[in-house]
Amino acid sequence: MSEKEHKVSRRQFLSYSLMGVGGFMAAAMISPMVRFALDPALEAAGESDFVSVATVDQLTEEPQRFTFQVTVEDAWYTSDQSRTAWIYREGDNIIALSPTCTHMGCVVNWDTNEEFPNQFFCPCHDGRFEKSGQNVPNTPPTRPLDVYDMEVRDGTIYLGRPIQRNSV
Amino acid sequence: MKWTTEQMDMYLKAKEYVDTAIIPLIPLDWEKDPKGKVSMGEFTSILTDQLETQFKGRVFQIAPFTYLSQEDEDDRLKRLVAWDHHLFDNGFKHILYVTSDSEWKKVERNLPDMLIWIPSLSLESMEDTYKKQIIDQQLKQLIPLIADKWQGEPVKRGKEEYNT
Repeated sequence: MSEKEHKVSRRQFLSYSLMGVGGFMAAAMISPMVRFALDPALEAAGESDFVSVATVDQLTEEPQRFTFQVTVEDAWYTSDQSRTAWIYREGDNIIALSPTCTHMGCVVNWDTNEEFPNQFFCPCHDGRFEKSGQNVPNTPPTRPLDVYDMEVRDGTIYLGRPIQRNSV
Repeated sequence: MKWTTEQMDMYLKAKEYVDTAIIPLIPLDWEKDPKGKVSMGEFTSILTDQLETQFKGRVFQIAPFTYLSQEDEDDRLKRLVAWDHHLFDNGFKHILYVTSDSEWKKVERNLPDMLIWIPSLSLESMEDTYKKQIIDQQLKQLIPLIADKWQGEPVKRGKEEYNT
């Protein structure tokens, strides 16, 4: 009879329920281990996050300085740090340059030296860059300013990491 | 460059480009207005950090020069001058002392090099974005001052200054 087929003995019931509970316990122990083992791999993907920096209608042909926050992790702390970018429009193109001088890492400013108008100027060792970020020959920097990885969605500009370029 | 071994390696490789030392001057006083002194120290540290970021490739941010507010003025000055001469003799041609403690303003004439004294503002009750704006504005005014200093000749150090 069908009732007989479905009958579960006391021994079977106990062993099934122990297997079930034991399985949960084992999963509870093992899954954090697996997660910790994989964690660095999962983290790496998060680092290329894009951050919203400005809107397209704020831009002009003249490079402007925009600041934004990124989360930086080092051995001891996670901190929010400010980053800046020089962003401008050239026709339909949008260019976002890193302000870090490629010579020794000071911060460059746009059009601040009277002798060199319409150039990025580094006050530390007189390094200069064209508007495009191209380094001016016979000044200390040997490669152009880095350019930010960029996405434009719905009129908002998102910046990623700075990308190194080589001198042309 | 910052006071870390990693950046020290960078410095050792590029010494010839780094001719300026920044020394934060930070007071300690647990008797009279300790919070005010902490606020000075905090403001000085923030400002120094920002200056370092701005001029990373030409300045070295030295460990803070700390002192008791009660310390005898001459002794304190002598100690700082000793730091200054030590750094000057070992390759730094420009030395900036950054502080919010007005005690240094009084003895500015006796300092061998450039004092940057900025009265501290209480930042604790401000919003983050506003805080950053304030510091940014201070910094903007300091940049040309320092750039100008670099245009000029380094200040010569005389032995007699040790005996002020």
